[in-house]
Amino acid sequence: MVLLNLLGRAAARTSLAYPVTQKYAGASLSIACRSFSRDSSSGSHSDFEPKRKQVSDEEEAKKMIAGHVRDNKIMLYMKGNPSMPMCGFSARVVKVLQDEGVDFSSVNVLDYPAIREGVKQFSEWPTIPQLYVKGEFIGGCDIITGMHESGELEEILKDIKKQ
Amino acid sequence: MNNSEQFPVETSIIKKLEEGLDPMVLKVINESHMHNVPKNSETHFKVVVVSEKFTEKELKSLIKRHRLVNSILKDEIATEGPVHALSIVAKTPEQWQKMAEQSDGEENISIGTSPNCRGGDGSLPRRSS
Repeated sequence: MVLLNLLGRAAARTSLAYPVTQKYAGASLSIACRSFSRDSSSGSHSDFEPKRKQVSDEEEAKKMIAGHVRDNKIMLYMKGNPSMPMCGFSARVVKVLQDEGVDFSSVNVLDYPAIREGVKQFSEWPTIPQLYVKGEFIGGCDIITGMHESGELEEILKDIKKQ
Repeated sequence: MNNSEQFPVETSIIKKLEEGLDPMVLKVINESHMHNVPKNSETHFKVVVVSEKFTEKELKSLIKRHRLVNSILKDEIATEGPVHALSIVAKTPEQWQKMAEQSDGEENISIGTSPNCRGGDGSLPRRSS
């Protein structure tokens, strides 16, 4: 059984079982996924260790991704997380979203190889980062940067900011 | 060893984009040296393509243009392929001309700098210090 401990002002979800970090302008909040297995081989009880949900199957990953992009208005698949990106292209997209002043959710694909591959198949796009807004794949670093500079991105995000 | 033997990926990218897009301007820039990979790697590229083909109605949006370039280079950028990152600048001749005017000459056009490496995720061989 996976219990979710949600911090911050996001609506409480009863069965959110995927590894999404919610980034609020200025602060990064992690969603801790805890499972109650009884593996006691490490000495300390596993109840006290944060556990990651195992995502082993690409079909399962794609279903999860469909859920992520449906449930999170701005969804970023990146390398690393917003407070510590592990790739310059991912870092640039994070910066753009911060400059746009929006809250967003993200998944660190480096922790989840099945999601890393699954998201490429889902969007038919070969690289990470990938940004989805209102369920639609918008683009990677070049496109997001270009749209930010042209004002197109602000237009797309306008409705979301109002809510 | 000539250029195409030393840099087979770059050679292949140039050939495929020339055949697929008949570009007016084509620059294929190996940016691997900006990343944490060994010398003479061919893992990170920036391509600048100016083509009449992008004036087609269905290629008006950036994402459609990028998808077309991705499909032309699909073997290079596949997960098991050699290219780890591909930065694309895709313009119509008119857009390129406008950029040239704004920059006082084609040679001054800024195509943007790719972001600095953040060390990578460990999946590629590292540059030896």
